[in-house]
Amino acid sequence: MGAETRNLSLRLSLCPYWHGWDPTAGEPQSPLIAEDCGLHRRYLRWRRVRIARPDRDSLNSMNERPHKEQFRFPRWTNTIRPHLGLGLTVAPLYLIALIYYAFNPTTTMSGYQPPQPVEYSHTLHAGELGIDCRYCHFTVENAATAAIPPTEVCMNCHASILTESTKLLPVRESHNSGMPIKWVRVHDLPDFVYFNHSAHVTRGIGCESCHGRIDHMDQVAQEQRLSMRWCLDCHREPENHLRPVDVVTTMGYAPAEDQIALGSRLRLENQINPSLDCSTCHR
Amino acid sequence: MIPRWFLPVGIITLCLALVPFAIVAKIRSTKSTETRPQIIFDMDQQPKFKAQAVNGLFADGRAMRPRVPGTIPRGELQEDDHLYRGKTGGEWATDFPMEVTSRMMQRGRERYDIFCLPCHGYTGDGNGIVSQRAESLREGIWIPPLSYHSDVIRSKPVGNLFNTISNGIRSMPAYGTQIGTEDRWAIVAYIRALQRSQNATIDDVPAAKQSKLR
Ligand code: HEC
Ligand code: HEC
Ligand code: HEC
Ligand code: HEC
Ligand code: HEC
Ligand code: HEC
Repeated sequence: MGAETRNLSLRLSLCPYWHGWDPTAGEPQSPLIAEDCGLHRRYLRWRRVRIARPDRDSLNSMNERPHKEQFRFPRWTNTIRPHLGLGLTVAPLYLIALIYYAFNPTTTMSGYQPPQPVEYSHTLHAGELGIDCRYCHFTVENAATAAIPPTEVCMNCHASILTESTKLLPVRESHNSGMPIKWVRVHDLPDFVYFNHSAHVTRGIGCESCHGRIDHMDQVAQEQRLSMRWCLDCHREPENHLRPVDVVTTMGYAPAEDQIALGSRLRLENQINPSLDCSTCHR
Repeated sequence: MIPRWFLPVGIITLCLALVPFAIVAKIRSTKSTETRPQIIFDMDQQPKFKAQAVNGLFADGRAMRPRVPGTIPRGELQEDDHLYRGKTGGEWATDFPMEVTSRMMQRGRERYDIFCLPCHGYTGDGNGIVSQRAESLREGIWIPPLSYHSDVIRSKPVGNLFNTISNGIRSMPAYGTQIGTEDRWAIVAYIRALQRSQNATIDDVPAAKQSKLR
């Protein structure tokens, strides 16, 4: 019995469950109970080493760092190994596709439809009643912004139409108190972008090209993604959207001739050359 | 030998891999009441006020301050009575303060179709779609507008018509803030044209074209 073994058996004897176990005598008789006994863990390690290398004096190697048992792939994995390359190329492609798809402005930016303080409907006013967009958004041709109409504009009609309607209560309240109705902004470009409605509307870009069929929206939703690429796509090829200036607010406009032919003709006639310079939009 | 669980597990993994795409596709096809997620703020929200923005410093929250009553912005002193109020020498003007051109007439027609059409109708006989709707609601408070072709309105001087648009009359709302001064005169010109068109005689047609009409 070497000094090592003696040492261990002495220490093991401190474990209340393993009195009298002699490592040289091999496996202990009774089952292991004291799971959290440090010596117990050492025993397990000793046993593992002894089984793995029965030829060496296991007790000597007990105080060395134990050799980790190597992980071995099961044999069947050999059959799929030739195809691993495929998996390794598909996985990054998958990730790229997913990120492109998920963080595309179409996903993150379009489809925003906040609830509004008044159940105002464009389907009714702009669609059924056929009121021109410029009746309410009356600055659109002269200014950069297409102002949300002030309460007075609603009161033009609602001072004598549906004066008892509960849906119009906030409008009447605003009219009486002078406090504005808190409409929630739908389309919102970042503050570092300059956009100008009049530059587009007076040159023959219809509201529909950028806002979609507003006359079918009970509640306004952002239809386009309003990304820089979206702006540039049209600034490069405005032919796809140009229409005569007198029909800019028409919804569902269908030109009698081919859109590209019409667009190209209008572009030439009116000298329309949208700028691509950074300073046009970032000023 | 490939273990038997390999195929089902592989298929399940492939299906799970499609789930994120399905979620994104759903996001794309549905409307959301939330603003877009902002991971990097950049300079998207700058400490400046855009048109119609909210400014909490003021009680009414308007960043765009209304004009102080009793003040006139520089360069907007409206001295010309004829142009801005349709009056000459205290009376309603009977002529236009500018030359009436065909361009102005076109503009008048366009503006009329935007601002007056809903109530007054295409020809100005007072049966615009809003007027019709309002009457069908039967609330009893809607006074349908008079036809432009009635003698009362035909006899009104242009200055009076201009004033009606600018300041409204009885239940007709004022359009002075919505329509610019020149455009209001253009509309008046177009109303005159409409009145002429509805009360035309055969003598108004050029002699060369009269035969076609008969
Ligand atoms: C009767 C008045 C009225 C008419 C006519 C009208 N709008 Fe509006 N519009 C509003 C009001 C009020 C809002 C703000 C509430 C909302 O977003 O629904 C609004 C909001 C919008 C918005 C969203 C603004 C934002 O916050 O981003 C767009 C875009 C818009 N209108 C386009 C149009 C177009 C295009 C037409 C013509 C087909 C039109 N509107 C006709 C009153 C009107
Ligand atoms: C040119 C006239 C006109 C203007 C301007 C107008 N409306 Fe209306 N609105 C109508 C008419 C007409 C109806 C009723 C239609 C019907 O029910 O037959 C109506 C109905 C409504 C209703 C539905 C009320 C109910 O009880 O069903 C709401 C809400 C409304 N309008 C909000 C607004 C707001 C907000 C504005 C200002 C941005 C506005 N309207 C401007 C003509 C107008
Ligand atoms: C070239 C594309 C384009 C066209 C054409 C266009 N819009 Fe817009 N509209 C926008 C963008 C972009 C915004 C967001 C502006 C911002 O955040 O500063 C916007 C915002 C608005 C708003 C919210 C208020 C504002 O000005 O920020 C309204 C209302 C509106 N548009 C109405 C209209 C109407 C009515 C027309 C047609 C007469 C029209 N737009 C034509 C792109 C367009
Ligand atoms: C559907 C087509 C279309 C889209 C979308 C569009 N534009 Fe334009 N843009 C035009 C046209 C056409 C002009 C007019 C060019 C001309 O007058 O020669 C123009 C002109 C402009 C101008 C004025 C340029 C000048 O010389 O003053 C600005 C600023 C501008 N666009 C910004 C934008 C921004 C920002 C966006 C994206 C939010 C955008 N545009 C989206 C078609 C478009
Ligand atoms: C037609 C208008 C237009 C022109 C021209 C344009 N941009 Fe933009 N740019 C935009 C709009 C709109 C956005 C905002 C897109 C968004 O909200 O994601 C933008 C966003 C950006 C951003 C991204 C900021 C960020 O972190 O989200 C950069 C960088 C930029 N532009 C640089 C440029 C440069 C450089 C040029 C010149 C080569 C240029 N832009 C020309 C309209 C334009
Ligand atoms: C909201 C509906 C509405 C709109 C929009 C409207 N009007 Fe009127 N208008 C009326 C009503 C109602 C009357 C009748 C007033 C009365 O007799 O109480 C009227 C009366 C008139 C009269 C006759 C005034 C008189 O002396 O008897 C004129 C002229 C007139 N409108 C011109 C216009 C012009 C021009 C526009 C376009 C800028 C316009 N209106 C837009 C509703 C409207």
